[in-house]
Amino acid sequence: MGVIKDLKNLIAGLGITGKHLGTHAITVQYPEQRDKIPERSRGIVVLLSDKETGELNCTACQLCMRACPTGAIVVEFERDENKRKVLTNFTLDNTICCFCGLCEESCNFSALKLAQKYEFSTIGKEELVWDMHKLQEVGRDVPYEDKRKKKKAAPKKPTPKPTEKKPEEEKKPQQTKEEVEAQAEKKAKPVDKPVDKMEPKPEPEKEKPATEDNQPGEKPKAGEEPTEQTGGKTEQAGDDSKDDTKKEGSD
Amino acid sequence: MALRTEEFVVNMGPHHPSTHGVCRLVLTLDGERVKKVEPVIGYLHRSIEKICENRTYPQCIPMFDRIEYVTSMSCNQVFAMAAERLAEIEVPERAEYLRVIMLELNRIASHLLFYGVTAMDIGAYTPFLYGLRERELIIDLFEMTCGQRLTYNYIRIGGVSHDIPPEFVPKCREAMRIIGQKMADYEGLLNENPIWLARTKDIGILRAEDAIAWGVSGPVLRASGVKHDLRKDDPYSIYDRFDFEIPVQKNGDTFDRYIQRLDEIRESIKIVNQALNGLEGVEDDKIKAKVSPNFKPPAGEAYARIENSRGELGTYLISDGTKKPLRVKTRGGSYNQLQALPLMCHDVLVADLVAIFATLDVIMPEVDR
Ligand code: SF4
Ligand code: SF4
Repeated sequence: MGVIKDLKNLIAGLGITGKHLGTHAITVQYPEQRDKIPERSRGIVVLLSDKETGELNCTACQLCMRACPTGAIVVEFERDENKRKVLTNFTLDNTICCFCGLCEESCNFSALKLAQKYEFSTIGKEELVWDMHKLQEVGRDVPYEDKRKKKKAAPKKPTPKPTEKKPEEEKKPQQTKEEVEAQAEKKAKPVDKPVDKMEPKPEPEKEKPATEDNQPGEKPKAGEEPTEQTGGKTEQAGDDSKDDTKKEGSD
Repeated sequence: MALRTEEFVVNMGPHHPSTHGVCRLVLTLDGERVKKVEPVIGYLHRSIEKICENRTYPQCIPMFDRIEYVTSMSCNQVFAMAAERLAEIEVPERAEYLRVIMLELNRIASHLLFYGVTAMDIGAYTPFLYGLRERELIIDLFEMTCGQRLTYNYIRIGGVSHDIPPEFVPKCREAMRIIGQKMADYEGLLNENPIWLARTKDIGILRAEDAIAWGVSGPVLRASGVKHDLRKDDPYSIYDRFDFEIPVQKNGDTFDRYIQRLDEIRESIKIVNQALNGLEGVEDDKIKAKVSPNFKPPAGEAYARIENSRGELGTYLISDGTKKPLRVKTRGGSYNQLQALPLMCHDVLVADLVAIFATLDVIMPEVDR
């Protein structure tokens, strides 16, 4: 009896697997065939270039660097004679990036993106630390939606500058205090970011510009830009971030 | 002349194919029989709790993804819940529905993986392919929504990171239909299989009182006959709106722990379908409460716990009012399950030990954190 029952079960099992006969394989032969990966897929971080000028969109605001939980991004900049930030280097360490996407979310300038690319194996670990040229090159053909367009048009209308400037300035000092505190905090806990991140200069520089920027001199242009741009970004941007972006935008 | 025998101490692991990660079991063997098991843990310790103390709250979520990578939606959820309790943030209704959908999909994916790897540990290879094939449907849904297949970083403080794409709902319903249908295949392959029954029935029994005493939770606890599920007993999110059962088994043997997971998949499918229906009724398309990127909860402490596919997952946060948590503590189900392993291994065969260990569905990163 038992044997018959076992045989029956064996046949039942074979029947289930047998249902596959004649059906298509669900796998693909990888290097030749590829699955289409969804639009939102988070792959390698790349830097995006302006569609017209071909220059990097990055304004060296360092928001991504601060948002990154692993310290994979290092943004270095210099100031030119107009005190505008000029990006000098943007290093991404692919060996410690965890593909979380926080950098892309924090960037207000459509300057970096986690592209749908995933093939970047090399034989040496050092080759995975990419500088801005490599990142730009990889990002050349990455399609993206430019969030800055609105903002670009804005500075051309000079009219509202004088009126908008004042209330903005009054607000700022308070908020910056908070900011400075926050940054002081950051410093107090040095373990914050991996060590290599603390080395580069931008860290101390970052605080100075924040106060300098509040000097009325070069404000006007900036007052406009960020308000537009944060407007589009309501979901993420809370109070603090607004003044973050204002500062960055004002350079 | 009688053969002189001797007990033998053997290391199983840390690198052993069936230890699901890096776990070392020190076995005292008498021939093929296991006399004593002693789990040695710590090989996968990455100090995530400490790392989180040096990260801002939003930055902690990608770290939490890695506590339990098989169901990282739950890890996201538990951290977000704790942070929301700290700052008293109200989560939009749509986000709650999306969270429930994702959590349940993740539970199904995890149980399908369990089905596959357990069967493979016991020696059946086909179920592994079946389990992974259907799991792929769910992983695709996740990738479509948040862009990642394993560590999602999807559930955020105050809501979720992305709304679902338009093709999500039909694809999700289709996936639920397919998985619902395939359940018959899964059971047909193993439930009556004489080899499977011989390997699992009455092996590695965990009695209900032992399970409670050792703090075992989740499917392993319910397989021992204790009806305890946080989704019903301490409803979080919007679980109180759904109609579902908590399946329980009687014996607490290896077979029960296996069948318990399959029963839970059925219930999760029910919840997902109800949540998809409920989602259609939500007009407000807000998916995230307003939360500053410089999120600073007031000083205080909060504990959140949820039922994930490996038992009770909890997170305790202490805030000192700054951007970074002062203390982060997590409680994972796997730890307690692993500690209860010696209770189930009285005089079992080594091969059965592998089966028992597999049905505990332990995830080592969650044990060591
Ligand atoms: S956030 Fe964007 S603009 Fe700012 S430094 Fe990073 S990539 Fe550049
Ligand atoms: S994806 Fe995450 S880890 Fe990688 S660079 Fe961006 S923020 Fe850092």
